[in-house]
Amino acid sequence: MITNNFEYHQPFTAAKAIELFQQLDKEGKSPVYFNGGTEIITMLRINAFYNNTQAVINIRNIPECNAIGFQGDHFIIGGSITLAHLEEREEFPLLRKNCGRIADHTSREKITIAGNICGSIMYKEAILPLLLTDATLLIMSELGIREVPIHEIFDNKINLDHGTFIVQIAIKKSYLNLQFVSKKITKIGRIGYPVLTVNGLQTEEKVRFAFSGLCAFPFRSYAIEKILNSVADSFEEKLSAVIKALPAPILDDAHGSSAYREFVLRYLLEESLTKLKVR
Amino acid sequence: MIGKSVPRKESENKVTGTAKYTDDFTTAGLLYAKILTSPHAHANITSIDSTKAEKLPGVRTIITGQDYPILTGSAIEDRPILAIDKIRYFGEPIAIVVADSEYEAQEACKYIDVRYELLPVIHTVHEALAGIKPFIHENLLQYYQVKKMAPNPKQNTANHIKIRKGNIDKGRKLSEVTVNVDVSLPPSDHAAMETRSVRAEIVANGQVHIHSSSQAPFAIKQNICKYFMLNESDVIVHCPLVGGGFGGKAAVQLELLAYVASKAVGGRLVSLTNTREDDFVTSPVHIGMSANVKLGATKTGKFKMCEIKFLFDAGAYVDESSDITTTAATNCTGPYNIDHVWCDSLCVYTNHTYATSFRGYGHGELTFAIERAIDTLANKLQIDSIELRKLNAIKTGDTTPTQAPLTKSNIGNTLKCIQRVKELIDWKQGEIIHLSDRIVRAKGISCLWKTSLSPTDATSGAIITFNQDGSINLHVGLVEIGQGTKTVLAQILAESMKVDISKIHVKMEVDTSVSPNHWKTVASTGIYMVGNAVLDAAENAKKQLKVTASYALRCSPDQLEVGNSQIYVKHDPKRFINLGTAAFGYKYSNGNAIGGEVIGQGSFIMHHLTEIDSHTGKGIGGPEWTVGAQAVEVELDRKTFSYKIKKAISVIDAGKILNPKAARGQVTGAMSMGLSWASREGFIYDDNGKVENNQFRTYKTFIFDEQPEYIVEFISTPQLDAPYGARPLGEHGIIGMPAALANSLSKAAGVSLNQLPLFPETIWKHARGEAIDYK
Repeated sequence: MITNNFEYHQPFTAAKAIELFQQLDKEGKSPVYFNGGTEIITMLRINAFYNNTQAVINIRNIPECNAIGFQGDHFIIGGSITLAHLEEREEFPLLRKNCGRIADHTSREKITIAGNICGSIMYKEAILPLLLTDATLLIMSELGIREVPIHEIFDNKINLDHGTFIVQIAIKKSYLNLQFVSKKITKIGRIGYPVLTVNGLQTEEKVRFAFSGLCAFPFRSYAIEKILNSVADSFEEKLSAVIKALPAPILDDAHGSSAYREFVLRYLLEESLTKLKVR
Repeated sequence: MIGKSVPRKESENKVTGTAKYTDDFTTAGLLYAKILTSPHAHANITSIDSTKAEKLPGVRTIITGQDYPILTGSAIEDRPILAIDKIRYFGEPIAIVVADSEYEAQEACKYIDVRYELLPVIHTVHEALAGIKPFIHENLLQYYQVKKMAPNPKQNTANHIKIRKGNIDKGRKLSEVTVNVDVSLPPSDHAAMETRSVRAEIVANGQVHIHSSSQAPFAIKQNICKYFMLNESDVIVHCPLVGGGFGGKAAVQLELLAYVASKAVGGRLVSLTNTREDDFVTSPVHIGMSANVKLGATKTGKFKMCEIKFLFDAGAYVDESSDITTTAATNCTGPYNIDHVWCDSLCVYTNHTYATSFRGYGHGELTFAIERAIDTLANKLQIDSIELRKLNAIKTGDTTPTQAPLTKSNIGNTLKCIQRVKELIDWKQGEIIHLSDRIVRAKGISCLWKTSLSPTDATSGAIITFNQDGSINLHVGLVEIGQGTKTVLAQILAESMKVDISKIHVKMEVDTSVSPNHWKTVASTGIYMVGNAVLDAAENAKKQLKVTASYALRCSPDQLEVGNSQIYVKHDPKRFINLGTAAFGYKYSNGNAIGGEVIGQGSFIMHHLTEIDSHTGKGIGGPEWTVGAQAVEVELDRKTFSYKIKKAISVIDAGKILNPKAARGQVTGAMSMGLSWASREGFIYDDNGKVENNQFRTYKTFIFDEQPEYIVEFISTPQLDAPYGARPLGEHGIIGMPAALANSLSKAAGVSLNQLPLFPETIWKHARGEAIDYK
């Protein structure tokens, strides 16, 4: 039961959404953009988040947000495309595999890719393939649509300017069908929050890695990639160097102790490096 | 009709979504209640200020503990309906808001200003026994004891059960080998699909109507009368279909709150339904346990003595925990014959959500303890663990830990169950098979037994009425909680009346003002108790029908028989009168009439049960012991410690199987529940005693694609005093699953796994020697 009363708006153009946001913001209604709604609904009903929200703007009916397909050299994914849909698409196998193990199927029918990577839940596993493929985000603001490289805007989380939203995500075609690994370990069972999710991508120059569940945010680290791409070091040397180079302490919570996550990191990295070739 | 897989009477309504549950109701003017619950696990309440909340739109009234300073409890009256002065668990009800809408009621809860003085939290049974101050119940000795208890406030214990069978010193001397095993399992939840829901109304003539998703409508009636000083005739409880009980809905909690909520708004109809979060932590849960088992045997494996200590985590209030503590003690050995048995079973208060009955009622817990000890002993003795179980299996002529004699009727054939499981799991292929350098397949075994600790005078009734078309209506006080008992009762009646099942209509809803009494829909006793009452009622109706028919057919009632919707002359079946006609009297050709409506009445009462002696435990605690054997096959990755449950097997001696598919469904469902419990269920508490996993987001249960292959078979040793020889089987599938899973994984991982739940991380910790008791 959601006890907050709030306005519900459903614009059909990106420009109208921005206009509505500005107007509602001016009225002091702390508006939020609403895509699949899984997070807003579940957090609101337990008063855990969005407590000041008096208006939501559903951007799911904006045509650009629902686009998916090739455009020139890029594969374009609308921000409102659901994880369940991405699970069915063959264009980007790494993303497809990640999306198939985020939440249960009923939720995946609702959760959108933009919602997953912008939400408050820390794992955001759909972002790992985007970090590895240097994706570009198309962000709508009052100035129109702006193309932003993901690395410019992602610093532990996506730092969107107030009142802006992701319309589309663009991935270079050349990255889509590279050799990859996508491995996920939960506390138990196939579905659940990750104790650790590892994504690896084999580019021509090197092997790229991104992680979720290891620290309190998903990340791709150049320092760690450098360690893992070393030809000289043994696996044990790489592992201890990786642990030293982590951007934050290893998570330690009810889903997995930090010692256990480190244990899982060891075998997932070992398996991943066996599959991907360090040159 | 007996022995046929008759589909459930209510299944069409359920699968089409038209079946109505308690919360599937609305009407103009219905008010809604919401509970403000405690954010702390142990605290004094220094003040409650509702002024702000009372002024909010839609709010009708706010009730706090001071408004109803009563204490409740089925064994000891220790629980206020709303906290008074003190909080004893995270999620404890503090206040109720009644409002025009559900959201207004919930919103108002946020504005009730409660001030607390935090107290040290008692996290474990061990901390509780150590007597850290302040105690959870300072006035424990002043509480009214409904049942005889042995409370000790300084150790935070409510009861202490002692079993003293044989001579323990002698048993110790005779034991050439002894194992000493500690096990533990945390409190967890029933996680029924339907959260608890209730609706209360006090109508103009003073009658109280309670609609509840409950397994115990008659207990609700008695409780409301007792605590609020009402006449029994003024309280009417209605139970529609219930969406899963598992013991959790046998406790009376929300009904008392809904009654005071309705009373506070002039008797208007008030609805109160738990959110999933409240259902997890505010309403009572599945008990936790720590135990120590010392099991002694000769070198050849003959069990000589058993010394067990159970510490049951009752949580903040006792409710059913004291009886669970008793049942675990009185059946502590499992289905094994041991001459010298000592058991001390303690019911311990902690700052956890209070516990109530859960499928298996202490037997799954005691079985985990004894069966882990047996596998440990087998390992030490280097004896095959199935042979060890066969050697010690209990049988007719033996006695239970309470010295109750076992007869050819009250115990089944344990040995046969073990033997069949051995074949089904392909034991001779090997207990441990290395599939690769990483993957190990392993098999684990557990036996089980269960009796019901009902009151020694528990009763049931049945009423049969007729329709003119010859069909028959059956009224009983048992609740349909998804277990399918009402369909099987219809089969029993159809068999007795010799009519087709389609001619029997069972009333699904229970209405305590007209339904015959039934103790509670618990303990797998429905068929035994109510089934016997139905047979009694059928005989009673047949007798009446024959008298009426004797006028029409001009012969003695003794010459008549009932069958095929007729009453006919035995030696000349062509002379008959239709059942539907005879059931309403017989009219002569001149218009004169005789007979009258036939209403069959039947009843049942437990017999030959005795109370348990408080010094030795001696007594007859239950009417029968259903026995069985179970096995689990797992595949463990020794590198990652992740595992798959491949196969789960049950062979249960359930006497005559009345409905094979329903029986298989009950046993399979219970096995699935047991595997879920053992592999992943358990509350996680933070340092302040707050439950961290009070949502399905974080409290994981088995999902569909994780189910193993289930094999269920039955052995049929009839129980002579039960309908057609059927033994109870509703709970039994769950009992050995935790032990069988732990036994298989212990073999696969090569370490003793004595703590639940068995997450891969748990196994990894054991393998590293870092395992700790649950908090």
